[in-house]
Amino acid sequence: MLYQRLPMRRVAFIQILAMLFLACMPLMGSADMIETGSVVADQQLQHDREELRAMLDRDEVRATLERMGVDRAQVSERINNLTQQELASFNEQLSQAPAGEGVVGIIVLFVLVFIVTDMLCATNIFSFVRCIN
Amino acid sequence: MHQLTALLLAAVLLLGGCASQPQWPEHTGSSASHVIDGVPFHPQEAYQCGPAALATVLNHRSVASTPESLVDQVYVPERGGSLQVEMVAAARAHGLLAYPLEPELGAILQEVEAGNPVLVMQNLGLDWWPQWHYAVVIGYDRGRDRIILHTDTRPRHSEPIRPFLASWARADHWAMVMTPPDRLPATARPLPWLTAASDMEELGQLPLAEQAYRTALARWPDAPAARFGLANSLYAQGEREQALSQFITLTREAPELTAGWLNLATLLARRGCPLAARHAAGCADTALPEAPAPRGNTAACPLIHCPAK
Repeated sequence: MLYQRLPMRRVAFIQILAMLFLACMPLMGSADMIETGSVVADQQLQHDREELRAMLDRDEVRATLERMGVDRAQVSERINNLTQQELASFNEQLSQAPAGEGVVGIIVLFVLVFIVTDMLCATNIFSFVRCIN
Repeated sequence: MHQLTALLLAAVLLLGGCASQPQWPEHTGSSASHVIDGVPFHPQEAYQCGPAALATVLNHRSVASTPESLVDQVYVPERGGSLQVEMVAAARAHGLLAYPLEPELGAILQEVEAGNPVLVMQNLGLDWWPQWHYAVVIGYDRGRDRIILHTDTRPRHSEPIRPFLASWARADHWAMVMTPPDRLPATARPLPWLTAASDMEELGQLPLAEQAYRTALARWPDAPAARFGLANSLYAQGEREQALSQFITLTREAPELTAGWLNLATLLARRGCPLAARHAAGCADTALPEAPAPRGNTAACPLIHCPAK
C-alpha cells in the first residue's frame, strides 16, 4: 500500500515540521505587544521597594526594629508582598513627614501593617497577636 | 531680676523658634525672587476656577483656549468644580503632558524659576468643610515671604507664604506643570515622566508619546522604559523597521528587561521570522542557558544573540 512505501525519514520530517509549527503558534499570531504602561508601573514598583529597603538600612531604623523585636529579614520580605498602592502610600507618608519624624512614622506604620497581617494570618511576626482563624 | 531676664529670653527664643519655622526651602541656585513674565490671565467666573486656571496654563504654552471652551471638558456643574483627573486629561487632550510635582515647596520654586507656571490646588476652607480652588503660581518673593499667583479674579496676586502653604497642604500638595512633550519640567524624574508619556500612548496620542519618550531618552539615556516606550509607539504608528531596530538596541542595552525580549519576539514573529522570534523569546528567560543563534534566517530576519550570562 502507498502509505507503507513512504520512507520513515519523510514521515519524521513532516512530524518535526508539524511540531515546530505548533511550538511557534503562540508566537505567531495571538501574542500581543506588552504595553509601555505595565513596564513603567513595574519599574516604579521596584523603585519604591528599593527606596523603602534603603530606609531599613539606616542605623536608627535598624535600632528601633531591633528594640521592637522585629526581624529585619521579615520586614524586607514583607516589602516584597506589598502592592504598588501600599508602597506608594508608605513612601508618600515618608516624604510628607518632616525630616527626622519620618523614620519613626514609617516604623509605626510598618508595625501596624504587620499586626493587621498577623491578625489575618498572613504573617506571624508578633507572638501576642492571635490569628483570627 | 536675673531670673526674669532669663525667663523672658527663653520665652523670646521659644516664640522665635515658632515664628521662624523653615518656610522657604534651602535650595541653592534659586534666586530671592522671580516672576514669570507674560503669563496670560483669565479671571474666573462663578465657581469656575478650574477652567480659568487651566486656560492660563494652556495659553502660556501657546495653546489657544479660553475658560469658556474648557468648561465642557473640566467643569462638573453638579459639584460646582473640576476634578483633578479631568484637568490632567484636558491638558493631555491639548497635547501637553501633565507632570505631577513632588509635594514640597522647593519643587514649585524650581519650576517657576525655570519658567514653568505651576497649577496648584488649594483648600481655602477647612478639612471638614472644604472649599477647593485652583490657581496658578507664577512667582515668589522670599524677602517678603510671598508667593505670586494668578487666582480667582486677581492677576499677580501676592499671597503670604504661610496661608498658601497651609491651603496647599489641605489639598494634599497637589501641583502640576504642563509642558509640551519636548520640554522636561525642571524637577522631572524618569518614572513619573514616563508614566505620563505612557498615558498619552495608551490614549492613542502616538506622535506626542513618541516625542516624550525621545525627550526622556535624551536626558536619561539609560532608562530602559524610555526606549521600550519609543519602540512601542513607533510600532503602533506602523514604523516597523524603526521599532525593530529600537527593540534590538534595547535588548542589547538592557538585556535584563524581559518585556523588551518578548516584544522583540512578537514583532519578529509578525514579520515572518519565527526562528528569530523563538530565539528572542528564549533570551527573555534568564533561567535558560545561552542557546546558539538559530541558522537559516533569511536576509530580512535579524540574527538574535542572547547576551552572555
